Amino acid sequence: MSLATALAISGSGMAAEAERLSAVASNLANANSIVTSSGTAYRAREVVFRAVSEGGGIEGPSAIGMAGVRVAAVVESAEPLRTSYDPSSSFADDNGYVTMPNVNAVEEMVNMISAQQDYQANLEAFNVAKSLALRTLAI
Amino acid sequence: MSIALDTGLEFYRHVLELRGYRQQILSADIANASTPGFKAVDLDFQEALGAVAPGEASPERPRSSELAWLVDDVRDLSPAGSGLPAGLAASVKYQVGTPVTLDGNSVDLNQNKVAAAENALQYEAAASFASQTIRMLTIAINGSASQQSNGGS
Repeated sequence: MSLATALAISGSGMAAEAERLSAVASNLANANSIVTSSGTAYRAREVVFRAVSEGGGIEGPSAIGMAGVRVAAVVESAEPLRTSYDPSSSFADDNGYVTMPNVNAVEEMVNMISAQQDYQANLEAFNVAKSLALRTLAI
Repeated sequence: MSIALDTGLEFYRHVLELRGYRQQILSADIANASTPGFKAVDLDFQEALGAVAPGEASPERPRSSELAWLVDDVRDLSPAGSGLPAGLAASVKYQVGTPVTLDGNSVDLNQNKVAAAENALQYEAAASFASQTIRMLTIAINGSASQQSNGGS
């Protein structure tokens, strides 16, 4: 039933946007994390979206139509890590510089707004499909 | 005069199926509003209805100019498992005229939301027409509306 697939597609959209919001939250929370479990400064996480078939059949980025969305990968930002001069810090190198995370707060805020809008759009589409399905039951 | 009971209903079945299918396509566009390289598509409803129910749709109405023809990439679009004819894929077309972002995405979120709302309205309309037709048939079977309401619920 096509409306059920529409619900599944919108659901996949909401799940993916929620994951993107998680990445934003993680980045903002760790904007000043000098040390991580790997021993280096935190690197900003970015999610990679990929269109996938909902219900089998289509695969790959060229697939069009009937496509839900999945988080294909979470990658670390390639931006160079920031350095700040703080010789008193116990994490400073020989020259007195501390390596800081490469989180760009402005970028993250924009990303967050974009994710919020996309999530809301998916939610609207979900609600419309749901009300249509209910209307069909009332025939 | 003799008519098959489902004569009037068959058409609404096609309309509801196609509206549901279009809702699915628009949902996919909205879900992929941030997917790099995703190109927005839409269903040319007029043409699709003509393909599914020939003779019912008015063919002289001009085709929607907002949708470009799909050139060759129709292989992925057949509504598998939905019980709709595979030829319907030819009526799914790329949306053109929307700005393409730097990552190659051509989904216009607002335009698709409006299209989804319009499609939902049309779906509701078709559903209520179908209800009316069923009510009409019930009245015809039972003889009068009052008898139908007595026996109905």
